[in-house]
Formats: sequence, C-alpha cells, structure tokens
Amino acid sequence: MATLTIADAARPRLAKGVRLQSDSVTGKRVLLFPEGIVELNETAHEILSRCDGQMLNEIVHALAEEYDIDPTPLAADVRQTLADLHQRKLIEFT
Amino acid sequence: MIASRPYALLAELTYRCPLHCPYCSNPTRARNDHQLTTDEWKRVIREAAALGVLQIGFSGGEPLVRRDLTDLIRAARETNLYTNLITSGIGLDDDRVCTLRDAGLDSIQLSFQSDSSDLADAIAGARAHQRKLDVAAKIRAAGIRLSLNFVIHRRNIDRLPQMIDLAETLGAERIELANVQFYGWAFVNRSALLPTRQQVVRAREVATAAKARLAGRIDIFYVLPDYYEIRPKPCLNGWGQRYITVNPIGDVLPCPTASSAIPDLRFENARAHTLDWIWRESESFNRFRGTEWMPEPCRSCPQKEIDFGGCRCQATLLTGNAANTDPVCTLSPNRTAVDAVLHDINSSSEQARDWTYRINPGVPVSAWSTGCNRGR
Repeated sequence: MATLTIADAARPRLAKGVRLQSDSVTGKRVLLFPEGIVELNETAHEILSRCDGQMLNEIVHALAEEYDIDPTPLAADVRQTLADLHQRKLIEFT
Repeated sequence: MIASRPYALLAELTYRCPLHCPYCSNPTRARNDHQLTTDEWKRVIREAAALGVLQIGFSGGEPLVRRDLTDLIRAARETNLYTNLITSGIGLDDDRVCTLRDAGLDSIQLSFQSDSSDLADAIAGARAHQRKLDVAAKIRAAGIRLSLNFVIHRRNIDRLPQMIDLAETLGAERIELANVQFYGWAFVNRSALLPTRQQVVRAREVATAAKARLAGRIDIFYVLPDYYEIRPKPCLNGWGQRYITVNPIGDVLPCPTASSAIPDLRFENARAHTLDWIWRESESFNRFRGTEWMPEPCRSCPQKEIDFGGCRCQATLLTGNAANTDPVCTLSPNRTAVDAVLHDINSSSEQARDWTYRINPGVPVSAWSTGCNRGR
C-alpha cells in the first residue's frame, strides 16, 4: 500500500459524514462514521480537535507548545495518526 | 461477558419495498399490521440513545416508504445519534434529499444490484437502475456521504470489476461488496444465488486488488462468502453485545433475521417494555450472550471469543438447533450440511437456476410469477 506524504501546509479536516463527539456512557471521545466507531486516545483526540482548517505545521506547533515536547518526533507521530485516519477515509486534506 | 450497552440500533421501519430482490434477508412471511407509529419510533430512539446507542441505521424494506422519515431523523439527531439511511434510493427525489439532509442525515447507503440496467433490473424485479444513478448524483450534489452496497451472488459476481468502476464514477466514499448471506428470501433462493468456488476465488482477487488500488480514496469492505470459509463469521460481534434491531411492528431483536430464523425464541415488543429492560433482562437477549451457552466444539475452542460460535440463525437454519456451533466451522459435526450444498453447486453444469422474487407483506404469492427471466 502506498505511503502517504503529508505536506506541512496540508489542512486536515474531518471527512464528509464523520463526526467527533463524546460517548455519553464512557465520557470518551469517539469518531462516528457509517457503520463504524473509533474510540480515540488522548493524542488522537488532541490532533483531531484541531483539524478545523489549520495547517499541519500549525497543529504540531500548538501541540508542542501546549505539552512542552520536542516538535520533531511529535510531527512524525501526528503525520502517522493522520495517515492512518486518511487511509480509512475519516479525514481529508484541503 | 458483560454487555454494558449497545452501540448501534437498526430501525427497520417497514418491510415494504419497491424492489423484489431474491437475495433479501427480510422474513418471507412478515406481519405488516400494527406498525409502530411516529411517536412510538421517537420513544424507541430516545430510549436507545439513553441506553448508550451512538448510531442509528434506518432500514427496512425501504425506509423512504415511511413519510415520517424526516421526523425520525430529526428525533435521532436531537439525541446526538449518528444517522445512516439504508435505501434502494427509489423515492428519493431532489426535494427529499435536501429535506433529509437538513433534518441532520449524516450518510446514505445506496444499494445497487449490478453495474448496468439489464442485469440490475432483472435482479431487482423492477426498473430501478437508471433511477439509482440519478439518485446517487443527487446525494453527491447535496453533500451527503455516500456508500454503495452491492449484494454479490452467482448472477452478478463476475461483474465485480465493473461494479467497483461504477462506485468510482459515482464518487462514493465507500463500497460494500457483500457476498449474499443466506437468510429470509436468500435462504429460499440459495441454489440460484450461491456462487461457484471458481467465482469466489476470482472475486476475492478482484476485491483485494481494488482495495490496494483505491486505498485512501474509496474504502472497500468485502463481506466474505461464509459457506466457503473454514471458520464462521463473528456474527454481531457476539449475541446481545453491540447491536439492537427493532422491526416494523416493534419487536426488539438481537439480530434482524432472528425473528424468522429462530422460531423457538420469543421476542419482546417495544410497546410492552423499555429497550433498557429488554437489553438487560430479556430471555431473547440473554440466551446466547457470552460463552456459557456454548456446546462443544466451541466451549473448549481458543477461537470462542473471536467468532462467538458464529451465527445463531445459520445454526438454526442448517442444523435445526440455534445452540449448535455454526456449521460453517469445519470443526462442527454439522459441517456436512454446508459441504453438501457446496458440492451440489460446484458439481452441477446447470448455470441458471430460477429464483423466487421477494413479495411485499400482504400480497398473495399467486400474484407473482417466479423465475429470473420474467418479462417486464
């Protein structure tokens, strides 16, 4: 399967028909899409809640600042998470 | 195994449908009286959300037959449910697509019978294909997420590449290539629908290649032809674990086919009990929950929490006992029932067998002719 390269200036957004909300039973954040539910870990939620039109590098910087971590390995993690979600048609890039 | 809550509700609003597909999994004899009213459905939806359901699929039959569909979608969105419409598309004109979207519909799963009108209409028993193409364009124009569903069987399985092309052309986000599962009308028509081994091998190659080629563009979901497998499907992810179905008359079911396939199980009605009580306390939801009910070879099997013993409906239909191991499993003493069917299909030179078209509840059988070459 082809590996996706995501540019710094790419703007990830939730794909059409995908919703991010809370699970009223567990309080956890979930992604809802046709015939599927993904329970998000904290990292994925922090990334996805910023997929609102910001560029990838802006998301990475915001996260690095908020959690006081090195942006270089973080950028790789964010890219990997986004690539996985894109593969499943849960996010798109504009 | 504790089943704390269900995740998805399948709302079967009606068994009526303008199509007559011989692979339909609806009951061959269905009650059509005393259907749930709009207010009763709204109560079911609220109870489901309170129980932890996150998604609702509006299905049937053809859910568009219900004129109150918009109200029900709105009610589902008010309780924050993810809403999916599972439809033939017939009856989805321009205005209605927009009305449903504005009521909060999140996505639409549109069925197709094949890639071209002649075969598709012969399968549907109705002139429908061209209208579906128009409907797909309208859904796209309205900006609603679109999945296509193809039920795959002996008569259309060789058209898999063309069906995938069609989904690409129509701009679908997802395709379900669902090998026919044998319940309801499909069970009656099994000998006409079951593909040959050669067809199944080829189809798997086509689906696997398409999945790789379209990764990130179209999500392809391939439902295995379970008679050709050696282990059963993990039906429902376990009985009474994740799903609730409510049928047109309000019976609450662990799975959509259970009411007709398992005659000795009594199902509760949403008019008489809350969904919460039925989910937690009812005999029907508890009978096959967890692993305690399992006979051998499931009981001592390391796979028992992977496939949950397979499908209870299939066990009933093929062995006469819902508590048996799904006979698709080669460890089942009843696997011979499946092998006999496969042998019959694969050793016969006869290619085209007749099928019986699905009829709507309340229509006398004699009003319909049978056979796939019925003229229109």
